[in-house]
Amino acid sequence: MPALLAVKLFLLTSPLAIVVVLSIVIGLLMVVLFGYTSNQKAIGIAKDQLKAHLLAVRLFQDQLHVVMGSYGRILRGTGRYLRLAFMPLLYVIIPITLLIVQLDRYLGATPMTPDAPFLLTVKVSNSETLNDLSLDLPAEIMMTAPAVHIPADNEAVWRLSASKSGVYEVKVIASGHSVTKVVRVSPELSRVSPVRLRGHFWERMLYSAEPALPNDSPVESIAVNYPERAIDIAGYEMNWIWLFFILSMVAGFIFKELLGIKV
Amino acid sequence: MSGMREQSPQSWPVIGRSSLVVRIALLAALIALAIAPQPAHAYAGPGAGFAVLSSFWAIFVAFLYSFYALATWPIRQLFRFVRRRNAYGKAKFSRAVILGFDGMDPELAERFMNEGKLPNLAKLREKGTFTKLRTTFPAISPVAWSTFMTGVNPGKHNIYDFLARDTSNYLPFLSSAEIKGPKRHIKIGKYSIPFGKTEIKAMRKGTPFWHWLGKAGIFSSVIRVPVTFPPEKFSGVLLSGMCVPDLKGSQGTFCLCTTRSSSDKFREGGVRVPMERRNGVCTSYIPGPDSPLAETAGNEMRVPFEVRPDAVAKQARIVVGSEKLTLKVGEYSEWIPVAFKAGLGFTAHGICRFYLKEVSPEVEVYVSPVNIDPGHPDLPISHPVTYSIYLAKLYGPFATLGLAEDTWALNEHVLDDEAFLTQCYSNHEDRERMLFDALDKTKQGLCTCVFDTTDRVQHMFWRYLDEDHPAAREVPRDQRPNVIPELYQRMDKLIGRVMEKIDDDTLLLVVSDHGFKSFARCVNLNAWLHQNGYLALQDGKTESGDWFDDVDWSRTRAYTMGLNGLYLNVKGREKQGIVDPADVEALKVELQQKLNGLQDPASGEIGITGVFITGSVYRGPYTENAPDLIVGYGAGYRASWDSVLGKVTGQVFEDNMKAWSGDHCIDPRLVPGVLFSSHKIVAEKPHIADVAPTILTLFGLAPPAHFDGKAWSLAAQES
Repeated sequence: MPALLAVKLFLLTSPLAIVVVLSIVIGLLMVVLFGYTSNQKAIGIAKDQLKAHLLAVRLFQDQLHVVMGSYGRILRGTGRYLRLAFMPLLYVIIPITLLIVQLDRYLGATPMTPDAPFLLTVKVSNSETLNDLSLDLPAEIMMTAPAVHIPADNEAVWRLSASKSGVYEVKVIASGHSVTKVVRVSPELSRVSPVRLRGHFWERMLYSAEPALPNDSPVESIAVNYPERAIDIAGYEMNWIWLFFILSMVAGFIFKELLGIKV
Repeated sequence: MSGMREQSPQSWPVIGRSSLVVRIALLAALIALAIAPQPAHAYAGPGAGFAVLSSFWAIFVAFLYSFYALATWPIRQLFRFVRRRNAYGKAKFSRAVILGFDGMDPELAERFMNEGKLPNLAKLREKGTFTKLRTTFPAISPVAWSTFMTGVNPGKHNIYDFLARDTSNYLPFLSSAEIKGPKRHIKIGKYSIPFGKTEIKAMRKGTPFWHWLGKAGIFSSVIRVPVTFPPEKFSGVLLSGMCVPDLKGSQGTFCLCTTRSSSDKFREGGVRVPMERRNGVCTSYIPGPDSPLAETAGNEMRVPFEVRPDAVAKQARIVVGSEKLTLKVGEYSEWIPVAFKAGLGFTAHGICRFYLKEVSPEVEVYVSPVNIDPGHPDLPISHPVTYSIYLAKLYGPFATLGLAEDTWALNEHVLDDEAFLTQCYSNHEDRERMLFDALDKTKQGLCTCVFDTTDRVQHMFWRYLDEDHPAAREVPRDQRPNVIPELYQRMDKLIGRVMEKIDDDTLLLVVSDHGFKSFARCVNLNAWLHQNGYLALQDGKTESGDWFDDVDWSRTRAYTMGLNGLYLNVKGREKQGIVDPADVEALKVELQQKLNGLQDPASGEIGITGVFITGSVYRGPYTENAPDLIVGYGAGYRASWDSVLGKVTGQVFEDNMKAWSGDHCIDPRLVPGVLFSSHKIVAEKPHIADVAPTILTLFGLAPPAHFDGKAWSLAAQES
């Protein structure tokens, strides 16, 4: 039982385990979905034709007209194959994109750690507001250096540090309006939001995990530079998205063979 | 500040790490946008990955191949020039196209031309040449086509029939190729695991003329010329034809899966497999080859399938493996891949077609012989091996079995006339596609393709052409289909399309290996030998079983099996031989004299018009493997079905009641083939053996001295 618990805990807390499991599951789901939403017969024919033209180049290599003709047919066939292969992707592109965005909240960055300094960057609408900008920090977070104003970019940057783990709200007061930004300090895997934005619907969907800043606020964005998470694979560090890309491809390849789905 | 990132200069500042994800997603989307017409927004799982990678891979490999071909082409040409001089320097044509129509008959061709039914052949006759083409002794396709390709008589290429006899046991074996499994096996548990390769030995000797062309740097595309299995290496591409076995190793074994109970066995070429019906679902199986892992023979692998009949809609849904198909009654499926799994990863790959015969009251499904899958060949059926894969990828799966048209199924009434013709022409259309692809690919050199449809259709439908064929007496004359005239017209149209593809610098030859005649009466030569004291049965027996079961060899001096061969039971040669070698020649002459002119008592017609002592018609190192005598039957006659299988019956002559109603395995002098040429050629009594030396000569090469054929010359104005 303790071993089982350890495995469960590992799966819940290890980014590597999560990426591996997710890659396999998503690889399977995507291949199945691809199989249902694609014209399997047409894809099979397109791939077979491509292979035939490749073989023709080899079989008739002394016949230059065949080689050049086959090369042209390969280019045309590739276009046809890609058109067929990308049609079903339209069905899966929205859910998979949203899923990747959500996963990135957990796997893309690590929360802050206690006593480690980090930067909080506030961008406001105009440079005058920089003169009327302040922070209201919770007791566990302290400012380790005075604010740096960058009028050219309408930005102010603070260097902060948290004394212990927790989920904190940093209050930004600009021209009498106050808005907050969540700062997560934790050694564990947790959901982080690197930026809070005003407006920018699509950007918020893709990059923020917090509600939009009020439209009447002079603050345009508040960002925290969470450290990038690197997953260690046999001593080689890589971003989770690359690992997901490779593993989901491998899983997809295996499942497509097992399920007889042409991709 | 170590480990902290630089501030981003973008409009909203801290997107750095997240932007990596976005960039990857955007990269995939951009690739999609660049190539596909629909907007793609992100990496959408492995489907997108495979599509992109596969496409790039295809282009990359194609580019490498093309670059290699282009970069090395001048070097290879130079190398060829130095080594072989200019291959086409002395050639009279840059290309020769030979269309082989198995069994095209000169008399029928002339008749239909004169009736205006064959305009393209008539054009060839007018502009070029039309003549009869003498054939081999005997006039059997594997024999004649072997002579066609090697330019020698059967004594030098060793093919005398489809079958040859084993002198140690009087049993037949396939004359063209011998297939042996791996010699070494390792036993693990219940498995006997084979190690090593399957050995395929070519029994046909001699060298096809395209090898000589290849040596001189002339490329050849050779499609389905008979007796080219196993394929041999040469400079060109070749798809094997007649004599390629099915996956079971036979020359074609169909399967009738039926809920109708019957203990009858098919005489030849097929098996009946019971179909079990339960809750409206019928289950059956496709019999496959023996398991390679079994210690003993007879451990047949099978692929199960189920049929869900719908009597109202007159259709059925068939599920075999992952394939699901719906067929109407009287409809064929496409070629369906089937995999026979022996375990431990050993799988035999085949393809077959289903034909729904009946759904009510009984359910019957015909399954074609399981052909070797050309896209995944377990045995080599082409040279290079990738050529069949290339054709399968380009046009889809196609029949690879040597005798792909299931004549046995029609003979046994498993298929009807229409279903058989559909099958024939389906195969024929595949062959046409291959021919035109070869024509496109072979702008210089040799392009040759043999079509079997002419042979099979004439075999099976001659009964409607004959005035009074026993197999068609019940069909009123005005209701008989014009199958054979339509067949010739179809071939004529094909020839017309080929003529449109060629220019004056191309020689077009249309040849057939033999002609055709009616097969209305059967001659059981074993019965005649028995009645005349040359063959003895065990005491008390009046008939034998197949393959001489119940024959008393200690009192037998002569026997026959196969289509035209007659053998003496020679002491020291046959296992139980009794004829003294000193008496052999005298016995041959005696049999020749007695059989020559053998009269059919029912009609008074001559059943045998010529008996040939093989020593006088064959020359070469393999003459000793030939039958002792070749029997030439008269027009309208042929060896009986029983006699071919080594069976002795009570009657010598009987009617042929089978659909197989035309034949050519008779006196070769009565069934010459055709020769059409796009250019006028000069030849006295041209023979099929002349084709090989003629092609070599026209390409500027000297025919080898051992050739028996003589090269034809072009008429003066042509040359």
